[in-house]
Amino acid sequence: MKAFTQLGSYEGRGSMEGWLTRIATNTCLNILRASKRRPELTTADLTEDQDRWLEEKLSSAAGELHRSAENKLVAADLADRLLETLSPEDRLALTLIDGEDASVREVAEITGWSESKVKVRAFRARKKARKAMEKLLGASRRRLGFDSSAS
Amino acid sequence: MKEKHIIDMLEKGPLANLTESEVHMISAHAEICSACQSAYEASRISTLLIKERSAETMEPSPFFQTRVTAAWRERQASDNVPAFWRLWKTAGALVSSMALTTAALAVLSFVAPGTGTGTSQNTAADLSPYSAEAVVFNQDQSNDQMTDEQVINAIYANDEVK
Repeated sequence: MKAFTQLGSYEGRGSMEGWLTRIATNTCLNILRASKRRPELTTADLTEDQDRWLEEKLSSAAGELHRSAENKLVAADLADRLLETLSPEDRLALTLIDGEDASVREVAEITGWSESKVKVRAFRARKKARKAMEKLLGASRRRLGFDSSAS
Repeated sequence: MKEKHIIDMLEKGPLANLTESEVHMISAHAEICSACQSAYEASRISTLLIKERSAETMEPSPFFQTRVTAAWRERQASDNVPAFWRLWKTAGALVSSMALTTAALAVLSFVAPGTGTGTSQNTAADLSPYSAEAVVFNQDQSNDQMTDEQVINAIYANDEVK
């Protein structure tokens, strides 16, 4: 609807697909900014399923994607919790680059940011996500009752 | 290999972009360094989670298309309507209620003017014959009042009878 109502502002300089993607991206960013939910990732309220999922992932060397519906749900919930700790901009950069294998240039085109800004955002997001996950894994291991230093 | 170097490699880009030799090097170092091992595992799992989330396709609700089409049609229809009519649709109720109020006020002011503020002297006198206004304004109507002589006669008439 937004694209339809703003059709007059499309100048035809880029592709229509790119223009639509940019509208969708900015709309989603605005929604994320408005929600202002950036809670700290706490390990206390991890479910047993989430603990088990993390444990399975730790023990499997290969990072294959789970196909069972139940595991997908657990993973999706964990991913959401991890992403919620990031700012909307960092989250967007990380999801597009690490999740959807988009290049820095593509993300810059979609968002209208400079390439260096995209790189900084992705770097910062990756660092924050890694630290949050390290914390989560450490706590999960302790809850499951085995010492990380033993492995 | 220094821990910082491993972490730099993990954070500079997506894990998928690491070359085979880099992955081999990180894995080898992680086996002897617990800090790097935990950083590597965390990076691997967070990337996996993000990939998993991105691989998920979101199906819109079955009513989504119907709703968008309906909203689109409504918008198109409203664009075809003349501007005055659109203005009337939004402000019509307000304008008509204001017109009605003005008409009612006009009727009260011009059509029935005598009922409220007419000859106040007469009205005041008619309403209460003992009011201050009545006494002041009805001074000239003293013809109905008894003369002093009549009053004296009336008072002493009973005494004469006795």
